[in-house]
Amino acid sequence: MIHDITPIAVEPSITANPVKWFDDRLPLISMVKNGLVVYPTPRNLNYMWNFGSLAGIALVLQILTGLFLAMHYKPDINLAFDSVQHIMRDVNWGWLIRNMHMVGASFFFIVVYIHMGRGLYFGSYKSPREVLWGIGVVIFLLMMATGFLGYVLPWGQMSYWGATVITNLLSVIPFIGPDIVVWLWGGYSVGDPTLNRFYTLHFLLPFVIVGIVMLHLWALHQHKSNNPLGIDLKKESDFIPFHPYYTIKDIFGLGIYLIPFTFMVFYAPEYLGHTDNNIPADPLVTPAHIVPEWYFLPFYAILRAIPIKELGVVAMFGSILILFVLPWLDKHPVRSARFRPIYKWLFWAFILNFVLLGWCGKMPPEGIYVVISRLSTAFYFGFFAVLPLLAKYEKAKPIPTSI
Amino acid sequence: MYRTLLAVTLATWSLVSGSFAAESGTYAPQKWSFNGLHGSYEKNQLLRGYTVATQVCLACHSFKYISHRDMMRAGFTENEVATLAKALNMTLDQKLITAQDDATARETFGKIPPDLSLMNKARGGLADYTHALLTGYSEDPEVIKHALPAGLPEGAHFNKAFPGHAIAMPNPLASDDLVTYHDGTKATVDQMSRDVTTFMQWTAEPERIERQKLGLFVLMYLVIFSLLAYLSKRVIWKDVKGH
Repeated sequence: MIHDITPIAVEPSITANPVKWFDDRLPLISMVKNGLVVYPTPRNLNYMWNFGSLAGIALVLQILTGLFLAMHYKPDINLAFDSVQHIMRDVNWGWLIRNMHMVGASFFFIVVYIHMGRGLYFGSYKSPREVLWGIGVVIFLLMMATGFLGYVLPWGQMSYWGATVITNLLSVIPFIGPDIVVWLWGGYSVGDPTLNRFYTLHFLLPFVIVGIVMLHLWALHQHKSNNPLGIDLKKESDFIPFHPYYTIKDIFGLGIYLIPFTFMVFYAPEYLGHTDNNIPADPLVTPAHIVPEWYFLPFYAILRAIPIKELGVVAMFGSILILFVLPWLDKHPVRSARFRPIYKWLFWAFILNFVLLGWCGKMPPEGIYVVISRLSTAFYFGFFAVLPLLAKYEKAKPIPTSI
Repeated sequence: MYRTLLAVTLATWSLVSGSFAAESGTYAPQKWSFNGLHGSYEKNQLLRGYTVATQVCLACHSFKYISHRDMMRAGFTENEVATLAKALNMTLDQKLITAQDDATARETFGKIPPDLSLMNKARGGLADYTHALLTGYSEDPEVIKHALPAGLPEGAHFNKAFPGHAIAMPNPLASDDLVTYHDGTKATVDQMSRDVTTFMQWTAEPERIERQKLGLFVLMYLVIFSLLAYLSKRVIWKDVKGH
């Protein structure tokens, strides 16, 4: 790359035009303007494209509510449970902040799952957006880590036993696994050092996510949004400026999103949680069924579907990591499922199967549930296995050349 | 696409809610005053529940997050709670801690009775479970033999609602009129169970009524907000081709 070293003409006077003066020295205002105001956006985006900005708002809400919770929470095995009750009972609006944080975590995952599903349906991961998609998978992994760490903090029974089960998964790493688990716990079981470090990491990771989200946006702006037709837009008239068109559309979407969110916050804050987490952690009493938060259930089902523990762990992590190579598994030239008759149905079968996996994850690992889990796991990976074949043989419907 | 999406959403919902219901629906659902968008507590019932809680439960169980002053949040005046506290020889800010010490509890029951503050939120079945448990004791040998063919373990008591049916807690509401109510309500076992369950719901979520009242306003605000946003969106988008 050749650098242009010619001096740039700048506004000389800070008093005559302070805004231009500042922008000429640090183009912050231009950056926001180019990224959020005049930013050219396809004019045919449907409401499925609302979920990106919704995910951003959900992240900010989690950070803000989390910050206020952190001011009252105590990461100590003898105080943690009580400090949560202190927040719920004595802190002004503590119950509202905590409910928003709890329900917010679930809704963040709902939004991100839909956002990913949209990418999957409309082929948003395909060239030239492979890196954009990959960064998204990194965000998803970081979210899962953050969600898991956060669920441990209230120090209820499910917190403790969930943490025990999930951290133990790492013991399958050959040779060094058990040592890694001890290192992670800071002792020989989940305990006070574990809670302290989980709290630290739970505080840190959201800011790492913010950083990666910046990269996600950077990669997005490089090639602009995909669109429901999945075609490359070449005409100037195919685009409209982000503001006011998509700002108002996103604000409307936010309002609709906040209605069920608010309903849960005020009327069913613990519906998606587990009653066992209202029992203080007790290392001597194991709950009848240890289940993770609902948003982990499909992956938990994959873990339990495979009878060999080591392979189960590999399959569980693999089921997410496989998303990284999706752009190379599905090299079909047509992006949008609208014009791919077979992929379209396969996509919906994949979604239904994913929900089915989640249901399996909730059920006890016995009898018919094991059989369904195994079939469902096979279908999950089968979907990815079939994609290269489809890329070769699926005949697409004629695609339009412009919007 | 939207029709398929709707179908998937509905299917998901029925699966999810079905499985959640399966866990909590094993106990006969009761009518509770605190349920629903307009749910609330009746002060007299709370006081009846308090009577059972302090005269029966508190012998062995604590409510460690609850003091008499906290009850002012449920609509009691300072004078009222001061009178109640005085009757128990307690200060206003003292938490409701049982007089029974842990060693005696272990010796008598084999375990320390759990704190009751959060109990209604800590068992699948919630308030319905608490009521089912409190009214689920039986000494009928036929019933016991049918549910537990191997017989009841030493020191345990039979309870229809308790998982495994053998519970360490003896029947706390074994007969009518264990307490005398301030409002003359007849203290039947069923009545005492309903009252104390309602009181326990309050101890589990003292913010519930404020929450439900505020929620309605927030929801109304958001509906209007969304409607205005939608109308603005239509105006702004009216010149965009294809819309």
